[in-house]
Amino acid sequence: MPDYRLRPEELAALNLRSLYSDYGYSFYRMSRFEEYDFYADKKDFLLSKNILTFTDADGKLMALRPDVTLSIIRHIRSTEGVQKFFYDEKVYRVPRNAENFHEIAQSGIECIGNLSDDDVREVLELAVLSLHTIADGRRCVLDVSHAGLIASLVHENRNDILKCLAEKNIHGLKSLDVPEEVIALAELEGSPESALPKLRDITGSHALDVLSMLEKYHGEIHVDFSTVNSLNYYNGIVFSGYIEGISESILSGGQYDNLMSMMGHKNVKGLGFAVNLSTYGDTASQSAAHSVHGSPAHPPAKTSGKGGIHNA
Amino acid sequence: MLNIALPKGRLGEKVYKLFAKAGYEFEGILDSSRRLVFENEALHMRCFWVKPFDVPVYVERGTADIGAAGKDILLERSPDVYELLDLGVGKCRMAVAAREDFVDEPERTLRVATEFPNIAGNYYAELGRDIDIITLRGSLELAPVLGLSDVIVDIVETGTTLRENNLRVVNYFADLSARLIANKSAYKFKREIITEIMRRLRGHD
Repeated sequence: MPDYRLRPEELAALNLRSLYSDYGYSFYRMSRFEEYDFYADKKDFLLSKNILTFTDADGKLMALRPDVTLSIIRHIRSTEGVQKFFYDEKVYRVPRNAENFHEIAQSGIECIGNLSDDDVREVLELAVLSLHTIADGRRCVLDVSHAGLIASLVHENRNDILKCLAEKNIHGLKSLDVPEEVIALAELEGSPESALPKLRDITGSHALDVLSMLEKYHGEIHVDFSTVNSLNYYNGIVFSGYIEGISESILSGGQYDNLMSMMGHKNVKGLGFAVNLSTYGDTASQSAAHSVHGSPAHPPAKTSGKGGIHNA
Repeated sequence: MLNIALPKGRLGEKVYKLFAKAGYEFEGILDSSRRLVFENEALHMRCFWVKPFDVPVYVERGTADIGAAGKDILLERSPDVYELLDLGVGKCRMAVAAREDFVDEPERTLRVATEFPNIAGNYYAELGRDIDIITLRGSLELAPVLGLSDVIVDIVETGTTLRENNLRVVNYFADLSARLIANKSAYKFKREIITEIMRRLRGHD
């Protein structure tokens, strides 16, 4: 008998909401639409180049949101201190390898203002906890990289080099005649304990030292420079999260001070991530279908936050 | 269980021989039969033949954890996967070829016949050249001979087929060979076995 009360992605969204509010984040709800122009000049930041438009009642060309972060930054009232938001919205994009627009359920957080190392640590911790919350006992990994560090090493031929980094394509990097540090960076992967000292040896950089503050999660955190987000927008830590059995990255985020300053907030930091719950929902129902034929694909839901909700 | 997608055909057989030399054997896989899936229970691995063009799809979507694909197909499809190794087999080049008497007139739209519309499109976009892409499924040499296109963008191994049809290479622009690719998520959770496979395949370059 199928359970119609909550679909896996809806249950996950509720559990994430309680996780983020437990950490003092306030709920951000989008009730209006943005003009098309607002997104059109930031297409590199958006994962999909296509934007779904409509004409508003007054004749203006508007867009169905492809992203929530840009709106939060736009509508932020003050950049005093540190502002923390979470959201649970639908976004409209053409996903990779799809022909048409999809409605994608997305939950995420943004942390904006004069961020300290503790704030960065908290966002990374919440990223790991988000994976835990929806992983249903499956293994998960948060790959952490650093956009600023990559940018400092890669100057000429940037697009080709970044593509090779993202592919772990060492033979490709060698054929591009990159500095040795870049190859060492591409080959560097592992837990923070093993990778951080090597990173200091390679580049002299302390860019990822904040990870040593997250010792409790070292089993799930992986230093891996194949996470390459747009260097135009991201300048600090960038990361992506994976859950065993889900073939694509389900969480992605990073520090985007460059975007803040492009949007008029000079010297204000911004850091956040989004969880793609539609991808999660698709695979959750698939594994439910598989489990009909054998043992359940994974043990029952286990939530780490207080007040987690379970579908009995 | 580790799932491996190999491209059906000559290239796939060369790649399989590298796997076999590295100690990953699948009984009966080279016999001419219609079976597509082969399992080695001791290794805890399953290997399957798919159309060469489809290998990146199986790997990107995680049905296969790893696979072997020609660089031409990776350039054409740009899948979001790791490209872990150049397997060094199936070496050839991507080239622009035309009739011996072809003279390029830059002011005219160039008609380009190819099996790789994205590769051809990107190549000419970088040159800023206006082109008309004609996507064909094979026997490309016919296109310029019969006047369907001005040039072709195609894989060239030895150039014999081109010469036999009175065509010549105008420009080589990419080195191709078979590559070992991996699903990004599978790589995280099956890292030990995948890196072990890489280590052993490298030993038999």
